[in-house]
Amino acid sequence: MNDSEQPMQISEAGEVGIVEYQDFVSAQPFQFESGGTIPELTLRYETYGHLNAAKDNAVLICHALTGNHHAAGVYSMDERKQGWWNFMIGPGKPIDTSKYFVICSNVLGGCSGSTGPESTHPGTGKRYNQDFPKLTVGDMVKAQVLLIDHLGIDQLHCVIGGSMGGMQTMQWATAFPDRVGSYIALACCARHHAQAIAFNDTGRQAIISDPAWMQGDYPDGEQPAQGLSVARMMAHITYLSEAGMEARFGRKRRNQEAHEHFENFDVEFEVESYLRYQGQAFVSRFDANTYLCLTKALDRFDLYGESGALDETLQSVTAPGLVVGFTSDWLYPPQGNRDLVEALLRLGKDASYVELEMDAGHDSFLLCSPKLDALIRCFLARK
Amino acid sequence: MNPGSKKRHVDFQVIAQWVKPGDRVLDLGCGRGVLLEYLQQTKSVYAVGVDVEFEKVLSCIKRGVIAYHGDVKTILSRFDADSFDRVIFSRSVDLLDEPDHILNEGLRVGKRVTVGFVNHGFWKNRVNYLLRGRHSLNEVYPKKWYETHPTNPFSIHEFDSFCEARAITVKDRAYLQGDWRQTCKSWPNLRAGYAIYDLAK
Repeated sequence: MNDSEQPMQISEAGEVGIVEYQDFVSAQPFQFESGGTIPELTLRYETYGHLNAAKDNAVLICHALTGNHHAAGVYSMDERKQGWWNFMIGPGKPIDTSKYFVICSNVLGGCSGSTGPESTHPGTGKRYNQDFPKLTVGDMVKAQVLLIDHLGIDQLHCVIGGSMGGMQTMQWATAFPDRVGSYIALACCARHHAQAIAFNDTGRQAIISDPAWMQGDYPDGEQPAQGLSVARMMAHITYLSEAGMEARFGRKRRNQEAHEHFENFDVEFEVESYLRYQGQAFVSRFDANTYLCLTKALDRFDLYGESGALDETLQSVTAPGLVVGFTSDWLYPPQGNRDLVEALLRLGKDASYVELEMDAGHDSFLLCSPKLDALIRCFLARK
Repeated sequence: MNPGSKKRHVDFQVIAQWVKPGDRVLDLGCGRGVLLEYLQQTKSVYAVGVDVEFEKVLSCIKRGVIAYHGDVKTILSRFDADSFDRVIFSRSVDLLDEPDHILNEGLRVGKRVTVGFVNHGFWKNRVNYLLRGRHSLNEVYPKKWYETHPTNPFSIHEFDSFCEARAITVKDRAYLQGDWRQTCKSWPNLRAGYAIYDLAK
């Protein structure tokens, strides 16, 4: 036993600083797994660090359902809000931009600059809305492959993602084994269980039943705001945990003095105020048709495949991998993460499983923690 | 290298002797993955380590050893019979909740099972109880009872009785003296500090 080993320290880390996004445009028609096509495709992406001469130091980050390509840095010095994984990506950080060329793209079907339901069909001049082809996680990854080709990269050093990003990561590892040097999937699963589908569908129904949805043809600049914000409020609960919510909100009341004058359904508790704010903020940054499209893609994702056997579908994986589950994640519970690794180990693959005890629920992977920091650092630098 | 790691090295050599090149090896309670790293280097095995402690699993990953962070019982239940050429319990059996069931599971999942354990029948352990009325504190067990996990200490005789009762075939045995370096030839239950068994169904 080597007891002289010290737990890894978080070292002094720098920031990626000001970043700019770029658009990759493929003028070729893109065919979806479902058979649908779009005449051209744009992926909006950001990169941090430098691609080396051998082009073998690229790390692809895959974002979650409502994330986007802005994973690190800021767009201007005045901006306070950093990219969604800023604590993870940067010089000296676990995904070290002084070593790695980090790429993050908005997924196909997204609404942050990549082609999706909200984009305009070049032929008709109208938005795709509900005419956007049926989307799968496989389609998202196939589009990312085009981007990686465009960047001249044969093999990614590592593909990393959490939640929907974890699904994309597993899709990369199974469908494009030659292009993946290693992978890290966080808070992931091989497929949605009934409860996850149920929550997604309840969210979709909130949107669809909002009259402002108008069969998906709501005018430019408008949204089925009520439905979308309720969908987000509910989904947001599934990203947290009971313990996490209790610690943060408990039964704290919003405004003690004004309490007497409350109307019945005004905001009374802190947690209500928080969720309503989350719902409203979401409406201003996320498109309802996109939400419907992406949640369906998640529900359809099934690594068990037609055979229903994970041990068959994961056979194609060649890269060493790490899967990380979080104890308080009840949306993609630890067992769903373990299932992936257990199948990979039955197949004699190089796959490790780590379970982190965090109380932030499914969103734990989005929070800075010394253990997650050390883990990703170690895995990327492993022998 | 600290004195403890020197000692460990001799039992690793014994364990490694029974591992064939290219074997599929499952190490239950793998700690920091030192044994598996050694087996990977010397025998080119496919090795999987299992441990419940995050820091240990992190060390495995750092070493390039495949690691599963979790419960031994759970992971065993996920494998078919004879999935591994060898399942190793190195200093972990005395920490198991259900040793009988888990050793049986080990024998199902592994074609062969290695068990390395501290012999609590070792004379010094007896003398400590007899004269001082307390268990030994030494390099192997440096912590007081209240500072450590619950353990289920047993002797070589007791392990032999277990194998007999469960009709487990003992293919080979190796005993190390109290210094964990020299091999011990006679009166092992009294003179051996450490025992390593090679078991088959």
